[in-house]
Amino acid sequence: MAKKRKRSSDAAAAAAAAAEKPGEFAPERPERTLFGFMEKPTAAAADLEESEPETASEGGEDDAAAVAVAAAAPFRNKEKVLVTCSRRINYRYRHLMQNVVSLLPHAKKDSKVESKQSKGNALNELLELRSCSSCLFFECRKQKDLYLWMVKSSGGPSVKFLVNAVHTMEELKLTGNHLKGSRPLLTFSTNFDEQPHWKLVKEMLTQIFATPKDHRKAKPFHDHVFVFSIVDDHVWFRNYQISVPHNETDKVDKGGLDKMTLVEVGPRFCLNPIKIFGGSFGGPTLYENPYYISPNQIRALEKRKKAGKYAKKVKAKVRRKMHEMENTLEPDEFAGLWKGED
Amino acid sequence: MVKFESEDPLVHDEPMLDDVDSDEEQSESESEDDSGEEFHAEPSKKAIYNKEAILEKLEDIGWPENVDWRHKLTVEHDQGEKVDVNDDLARELAFYTQALDGTRQAFEKLQSMKVRFLRPADYYAEMVKTDAHMHKIKGRLLSEKKKIEEAEERKKAREAKKRSKEVQAQKNKEKIRQKKEQIDSVKKWRKQRQQGGFSKGNDDGPDLNFEGEEGFKQSKKKRPGVSPGDRSGGLAKKGNPGKNRKTRDSKYGHGGRKGLKKQNTAETTNDFRGFNQRGESQNKKRKMS
Repeated sequence: MAKKRKRSSDAAAAAAAAAEKPGEFAPERPERTLFGFMEKPTAAAADLEESEPETASEGGEDDAAAVAVAAAAPFRNKEKVLVTCSRRINYRYRHLMQNVVSLLPHAKKDSKVESKQSKGNALNELLELRSCSSCLFFECRKQKDLYLWMVKSSGGPSVKFLVNAVHTMEELKLTGNHLKGSRPLLTFSTNFDEQPHWKLVKEMLTQIFATPKDHRKAKPFHDHVFVFSIVDDHVWFRNYQISVPHNETDKVDKGGLDKMTLVEVGPRFCLNPIKIFGGSFGGPTLYENPYYISPNQIRALEKRKKAGKYAKKVKAKVRRKMHEMENTLEPDEFAGLWKGED
Repeated sequence: MVKFESEDPLVHDEPMLDDVDSDEEQSESESEDDSGEEFHAEPSKKAIYNKEAILEKLEDIGWPENVDWRHKLTVEHDQGEKVDVNDDLARELAFYTQALDGTRQAFEKLQSMKVRFLRPADYYAEMVKTDAHMHKIKGRLLSEKKKIEEAEERKKAREAKKRSKEVQAQKNKEKIRQKKEQIDSVKKWRKQRQQGGFSKGNDDGPDLNFEGEEGFKQSKKKRPGVSPGDRSGGLAKKGNPGKNRKTRDSKYGHGGRKGLKKQNTAETTNDFRGFNQRGESQNKKRKMS
């Protein structure tokens, strides 16, 4: 953190200094206060431009041409993800959320949010307060259905998923383990690029799940890999530990790539997209999943199937009666033949 | 904050709207179809799909085109043909191969960049799962392994048991065969001896009177001089042991019929030793008084 702050403010100062007196090279350091660096009024103006999280501009050293600065600005990922859930969440889903938090070193956890009408509003405020650029919101309804909101803050799109097939990291069948905070490799199946809405989902997944490079909590090694795969119009998530034989840190042993094995670490879940909205936690609907059936509906259907049992029986009885009434049996001609015998 | 307040209706209307929508859909479909089976397959027609807006949004949030790969670390993998979702094994295999293939690609890229990316052996740091949890996992794995081994052992034992019956039968057969052979050889020897001019009953050779099977069979008849109730089979009377031993043996020893001892014989009916004549009269007296 400290490093980043210093650099950006330095750049601003440098730019300002260069603009004022081109002869002087050493930029003056802003005064340090309890709340960070005090910025000079001229620097503040320059700083406003780079307030956007994605395009942090770093100073060109002495020639202060703005175009050159913009062109040379290296990309810097300042993603921060707010991870939170609704109140009355299931323990299983809560554990899933905690697992996600442990996988994302750039995540910020927050207290549960009351799931009511204005929760979108509250969450937007919360995002602003915690200065996060994206959000994962686990919403649990009826203690059994989990919805996941994946949101880019301040006007970005938001996607609402239904989460299925949840397995948490605590399960003993998932035997892998990896460093906390190591940066994951992300693998996507190629069918993410086939349709625009999948493209958008892919971009959001990349931004949210990729740990920013040089993040202060990140470790510089790669020992796990995330799998995002579209099967049956659902996004499936898996997390594997990479175990590969190596002696050096920058090279795999000869033939080691073939000997590489993966062990699953977890968690597992499956995302079924429901809708994509234009704004964060709301806005115009851009996409609607035509195949989506809400779990309520599915349950209702099952119930209805079971409920019809008695009515069907009664109906069948009535039908049978009607049938018998319509087609009465003709009296048998041999009916009285053996009457006297017994 | 004020900005958000102004947007208020938009912000919270949409998500809630969608719930209402789904409910409406539900009621419609309920009225429409009774069978409810093909209900899953057909897409709803009025679903919104605004491709332009989505692409625009994508451009908005997207990172710059020329961003270094090391920021993203993404790899694409072609799954090939469609994966069957309901086949768990095939599905998981597809994911595994995707991960493996992706990792190989990524590692090759990282190697070519000459950066350090593998964890050194002496690098210890906090892991996602705690040591206690990993211990649990290890315990489970071990117990599973043990279970499998035990099951295998049981299976082996069962098989061996089956085999052992066969082996036993084989042994018995072998024994019988050997016996026969021996008998045959003895017969042969006797014949040769007779032909050689030796008369029967000569004391040169042992008098082996086991021609035929009868020689080996124990007679099932009752041995002479043994009472039917004698469980020792008359053995008790033979030896030196004392009188008590003898009687006890004849009483408690093996074999014989127990019931015979409880029957009266002529002797016991005439024996009045254990009969108390006075006892009854006393009783009578007592009754009278």
